Amino acid sequence: MAKLRVIFENGDPERVIEFDPAKAPFHHDGLPGSILDILLGHKIHLEHACGGNCACTTCHVIVKQGGKQLSEPTDQEEDMLDRAPGLTPTSRLGCQSVVEDPDAEITVVIPRYTVNLTSEAAEE
Amino acid sequence: MNGVSPLSPSDSHTGSRPIRTARVARIFDHASDTRSLFLEPVDSGTVRYLPGQFISIAITLPDETRTRPYTIASPPEQGMPFEICFNRVPGGRGADWLFERQLEDSVEFTGPYGTFTMESVPAAETIFLADATAVAPIRAMIQRAAASTAPPMMTLLYAARSPDHILYRAEFESLAARTRGFHFEPLILPQSELYEGLRKEAERRWVWGDSDRTRQFYICGVGKGVIALRDLLRSGGYERRAVHYEQW
Repeated sequence: MAKLRVIFENGDPERVIEFDPAKAPFHHDGLPGSILDILLGHKIHLEHACGGNCACTTCHVIVKQGGKQLSEPTDQEEDMLDRAPGLTPTSRLGCQSVVEDPDAEITVVIPRYTVNLTSEAAEE
Repeated sequence: MNGVSPLSPSDSHTGSRPIRTARVARIFDHASDTRSLFLEPVDSGTVRYLPGQFISIAITLPDETRTRPYTIASPPEQGMPFEICFNRVPGGRGADWLFERQLEDSVEFTGPYGTFTMESVPAAETIFLADATAVAPIRAMIQRAAASTAPPMMTLLYAARSPDHILYRAEFESLAARTRGFHFEPLILPQSELYEGLRKEAERRWVWGDSDRTRQFYICGVGKGVIALRDLLRSGGYERRAVHYEQW
C-alpha cells in the first residue's frame, strides 16, 4: 500500500491516506492516480478550478517527501507552474502528479492560498 | 437552489473563493450541438476578468456535484451579461447539464481563473490558432487587441469540421474588414484532420515561411494537437514564452 500524508498550511489537522495505486482512478478529476484524484477519492478537498485539466494552478501542492515516486512533470505542467504563486523547487500540480510506486510514501503541503496570478485583482 | 451551496467545500481546505450566482439571461444556439449562455450576476453586478479567463461552474448532478471550467467568450469591454460557449461531448455530463438550463435559471460559479490571458496587447505580430469552441478565449483577446490604439498585425487561423462550427464568423469577418492588419482565415476540415491541418499551415507559414521569430502565438484547443503545435513552434525557433497555449 502507498501512503500519502497531507499537511494543510492553514493549520487544519494533517491526514494520512493509505491506498493502492493500482485501483486508480479514485474520483473523476485529474489524471487517474494523481494527488488530486487520490484526495478527492478520499473526501479531502483540493481546489481544481479547471476540473483537473492542467489549465490553472489552483491544485498547486508542495511535495515535501517522495517526489521521485511521482510521475515526471510534463512541459505543460511546468509551463503552468511557472505562473503559480508561491512556487518552490518541489511544487507540483496535484492534478498531474501521479503516484506510480505501489509502496510510495509521499508528503505534500497544501498551501494556504492558491491564489490565481491573473485574477480579478489584476485589473484593479 | 436551496440548502448548502453545491460549491461549498466538504471541509475548509479551499482558501476563500467567493461563490457567486448568475441567472441565464439569454441562450443562443450556434449549431445543434453548440450553445452560448449569457450569464448575469445576481449579486454585485459585474465580473471582472481578463480576456482568456474562465469560470468554474458547479454542475449539480443527481449523485454528486462536479466543478467544470467554462471560458468567458465575451470581451470584458462588453460588460454584463458575460458569455460562455460550449458543445456537447460524448459522456460530457457538464455540457449536458448546461444544455438543460433555461432562461432565468440560476448557475453558481467561482472565478475567474486561468493564466491563458492577454494582459497587454502585444506589439509584435500575433497569431491565434483555435478549433471549434476553443475560439472562446481568443475571441475576447482579439476584440481587445483590435480595439487598442495600436493593434498589432493579427491572424486568426480557425479550424472546424463544418461551416456551422466556425463560431462568430460574421463578427470576425466584419472585424477583418474594418481592422487593418487583422486576417481571419477559417479552415474547414474533417474532425480527425483539424490539428494536422493547423500544424501544416503553421509550419508552412511561420516556421518555413520566413526567419522572423518575433511573433507571439496564442493556441487554444482540445487534445494533444495543441501540444504538437506548441512543440512545432518552440522547436522552430520561437521563444518558449512567445507560445501561449491552453489545452482542454
